[in-house]
Amino acid sequence: MMLSTATQLSTPPTATPSTVVPLANRNIYLNPRLQQGGTGQMGNQRSEEVKKVLDILVRTKKRNPVLVGDSEPEAVVKELFRKIESKELGAEGPLKNVQVISIEKEFLYDKNQILSKIKELDRVIESRIVSGGVILDLGDLKWLVEQPMSFGGAQQQQVVSDIGRAAVVEMGKLLARFTGDGTNDNNLWLIGTATCETYLRCQVYHSTMENDWDLQAVPITSRSPLLGIFPRVGTERILSNPGENLNPLKSVPTLHPALTRRVSENLDPAQRTSFCPQCSDNYEKELSKLVAIEKSFSEAKQEDNRPSLPLWLKNAKLQSSDAKTIDQSEGKYQEVLSKQKTQELQKKWRETCLHLHPNYHHKIHSDRTAPPALSMPSLCNPNLFVRPPFQPRLQTTKPLGEVLQLNTNPVTSQPQGCTSSIPGSPVRTDLVLGPKGTENTPEKATEDGVKDLLGCISSEPQTKVLDKFADALDADTYKKLLKGLKEKAWWQAEAATAVASAITRCRLGNGRCRGAGSRGDTWLLFTGPDRVGKKKMSSVLAEQICGTIPVIICLGSQRGGEESDMNFRGKTAIDRIAEAVRHNPFSVIMLEDIDEADMILRGSVKRAIERGRLTDSHGREISLGNAIFILTGDWSTTNPEATRDGHVVDGKKLASIASRDWQLGLIVREKSAKRRVNWLQNEDRPIKPRRELGSGLSLDLNLAVDTEDDRTDGSHNSSDLTIDHEDELGLVGRQFTITSVPHELASIVDDSIVFKPVDSSFVRREIKNTISVKFSMVVGDNLPIEIEDDVLEKILGGLWHDQTSLEQWIENVLAPSFNQLKPRLPSIESRGLVVRLVVESDSGERRNGDWLPSRITVEG
Amino acid sequence: MGVVEEAHNVKLVGSGDQTIVLAHGFGTDQSVWKHLVPHLVDDYRVILFDNMGAGTTNPDYFDFERYSTLEGYAYDVIAILEELRVKSCIFVGHSVSAMIGAIASITRPDLFTKLVTVSASPRYLNDANYYGGFEKEDIQQLFEAMQSNYKAWCDGFAPLVVGGDMESVAVQEFSRTLFNMRPDIALSVAQTIFQSDMRHLLCHVTIPCHIIQSMKDLAVPVVISEYLHQNFGGKSIVEVMQTDGHLPQLSSPDVVIPILLKHIRCSIAT
Repeated sequence: MMLSTATQLSTPPTATPSTVVPLANRNIYLNPRLQQGGTGQMGNQRSEEVKKVLDILVRTKKRNPVLVGDSEPEAVVKELFRKIESKELGAEGPLKNVQVISIEKEFLYDKNQILSKIKELDRVIESRIVSGGVILDLGDLKWLVEQPMSFGGAQQQQVVSDIGRAAVVEMGKLLARFTGDGTNDNNLWLIGTATCETYLRCQVYHSTMENDWDLQAVPITSRSPLLGIFPRVGTERILSNPGENLNPLKSVPTLHPALTRRVSENLDPAQRTSFCPQCSDNYEKELSKLVAIEKSFSEAKQEDNRPSLPLWLKNAKLQSSDAKTIDQSEGKYQEVLSKQKTQELQKKWRETCLHLHPNYHHKIHSDRTAPPALSMPSLCNPNLFVRPPFQPRLQTTKPLGEVLQLNTNPVTSQPQGCTSSIPGSPVRTDLVLGPKGTENTPEKATEDGVKDLLGCISSEPQTKVLDKFADALDADTYKKLLKGLKEKAWWQAEAATAVASAITRCRLGNGRCRGAGSRGDTWLLFTGPDRVGKKKMSSVLAEQICGTIPVIICLGSQRGGEESDMNFRGKTAIDRIAEAVRHNPFSVIMLEDIDEADMILRGSVKRAIERGRLTDSHGREISLGNAIFILTGDWSTTNPEATRDGHVVDGKKLASIASRDWQLGLIVREKSAKRRVNWLQNEDRPIKPRRELGSGLSLDLNLAVDTEDDRTDGSHNSSDLTIDHEDELGLVGRQFTITSVPHELASIVDDSIVFKPVDSSFVRREIKNTISVKFSMVVGDNLPIEIEDDVLEKILGGLWHDQTSLEQWIENVLAPSFNQLKPRLPSIESRGLVVRLVVESDSGERRNGDWLPSRITVEG
Repeated sequence: MGVVEEAHNVKLVGSGDQTIVLAHGFGTDQSVWKHLVPHLVDDYRVILFDNMGAGTTNPDYFDFERYSTLEGYAYDVIAILEELRVKSCIFVGHSVSAMIGAIASITRPDLFTKLVTVSASPRYLNDANYYGGFEKEDIQQLFEAMQSNYKAWCDGFAPLVVGGDMESVAVQEFSRTLFNMRPDIALSVAQTIFQSDMRHLLCHVTIPCHIIQSMKDLAVPVVISEYLHQNFGGKSIVEVMQTDGHLPQLSSPDVVIPILLKHIRCSIAT
């Protein structure tokens, strides 16, 4: 039973159309489409086409059919000839005694003799035509428009199409000669097949052919049920018929994409097995396990069923003991599969080893260049295993560029050549992908050199030098980063601290250890509703660490279309991430709204986090280099009342406020005594003067000393920061909870940082305080400044969207106008006066690019 | 060679008193059982077939209406068994085919002696008091992604479902069979599967059921196996394997094959 199944699969259904009918009617569960005849239906289609061809043959005009179709027009011709041969066409009609002459293959190959061949054909036809007509089978017409590959060149093509043209003319004469007598008996027909492309070419190159040859094109539909040809048939179906390996070339690449990719990686054989002894031990162990598994499969003996088993079943037993029964192609296939598995294993350990013991690989290399080699075991210095290599992370800390350069210069000059030839270093590959432009500047080039080296060097002395750096780096970058973060997103002091410490930790190699060995990419998860704060912090990170602006990719449904870059049209988010990494592997990439991303996208991102590599939609894999990824999502629930009552800053409302064009002005007025008292007494504590304002909210230790004396002013807090926190937590903490950050995400990122909703009263107060303090510094303590809430709201809105920080704006815009104001004030007795910051004009649409007013009108 | 056998690429291998039917799930074909079959052929007669709509079947036979419910597939299974004059069989169904087998066993209980389900789920969508693992929006996005770029979708979906690297042989294998499907058919099949709800039918399944499930499976949360156990009408037994992915028989055969063999060979103690 099984044997016949296997062989019959490949035979065209037309050959066995009648065998299926009796069974079909019995089965009530049968798919109706199968019941309708199934293969018979296909046969019908074919016979209909044959009928069409016959109809053409009996016509008096346009009676030479050319079957045009991309799928098997030959089969129709064959069927036709079969019918002619078996005299199925009946005794009557012009075709009853027709003979078929096929043009031999040699005829077509030997182009130069084509004309003499046609003459020869002439004689053959003449001898046969008397008996009742001849159908001349021209085969595939491509011989008229193509030339053998070996010729090539435009000159040759010209010659060939000349010959083709001559052949068309000769054939036309031939046809005219034998049909000239007008009777329908003893006729000559032509029949040919062509793909659509070929037929179109024929029409172009031999424009007269259609008329001269009296041709009629017959379109053949592509519903061929032939399994061997059907393009979507799985490859194993083709292979499953031994000896019927129809398309081995086609099947190999689809079966072993991994293999071909591996080949293209261009690894030299020596590299392939270069693990250190420890890893090669492990590799051997796994290999033997693999072999054992395969053995166990092969021991499940099934000789009895061998001939009937499709190939994929045999694949399970890779190292079959009796290989002689398997034919060669199968053997090869198995070998390839087994090799593939082994290579996969090898590759895995090579990568693991590279990660765990970069030392070894470096040494291996220097062994090659410098002959006095050390013995193998000593290379794997055990204490090096303990410490994960931190180097790949160091190099991107931009602010330290100069320092790094100074100290690593001797290093760079020494093995420059060797870095370029270290094989298999992942870091090197990444750099190839990086933008060319940056390498032009000498400074960058050196830096790149450093990066290069750091990726692969791990010999003792250098590590020690760098190690020292790392410690120095630590405190320094942390401070600088924190300062930057707090300046730009001062309302998220807590988050800023968390971000700074997370980044510092990750950059120094203490991030969460994902997969095998340490990696350069960093993943942070920003949760909470404060989109602005997240964005501002990302820009600070990008600027300080990578010296660029952050790449922002929105994974969720687009919001407001603000980041609709034309280049991204039609690309999936994953492709955009891949492109960003490819463009610059040392960048900050912000993936917004991961909580709104679809499942597949989330999955891809998750896998990228886990593996440090990203597969784009074309299946290409790229390493994530040293990029910092920031995932953002909300996942929070805020008390709706809090938003409504204005306790929490509402982004949308701010946007509408700030999008108008407004100007501020300073005016001096008589103060109303009542108001002043109110202001001083009720808000005494929050506006306590803060002398350290120049340096912002930076958490420098020196500041702590400064703030010591603040305690004397009756505040119940020791430092400003604690005040902020108390207030913030007091109001906001009650109304806000991060509910549902998916554990799967939170558990794999390096760190997740909560961004609380912004308490609007806190932010307003903060702006007011900062301005007042600046004012008192410039103008003097004896004149108060009043700022209305709507003004604060506007400033806040501007800050929310503008790139500048509050300090910058005050320094650049407010301070000059204060200075301007100062001389105009009555110098002696300003008591009873108050300076007010008011909205001067509020005129609809915003005109220029700035969100905050760039100058302030001063009225004396 | 009957038309049914040919249309479903039915293969009969091995010999033995009992017959085992191996039914594959969405996006695969009978080759998904390649690791299991060699272990069965000595003791059993094994029937392998492709569900209609799989990449290896003729798309012309795919009747979008017939296959808009799982019943259509179930009738196909019975049609194959009738065609081969099988009187009784052990049905091993993976993913959607497990439910197909369940339906078939309700229609023709006489044909089935045992049902072994691998990564089966009666409903993929969450519902009140039911956790299927997917929200309606998730599914909708999935369908949209399938429609917009099938190749990209396959490449993204395969590693998720199998639970491994794009490079691993299992993922390559799955994405190959997945991509073999004609995109419109794949979409239709996926819609049928994800919108199916077999919960109300489970109580009618009277044959013994062996429920086998991966510890970590994107498509089927582990609690589903317990749900099936509670709701099947007949006896049932659950085994949760320490494997990863929706196609454990392809991705971790060394764990799954022994377990499958155990459940095929042994019956639930009375």
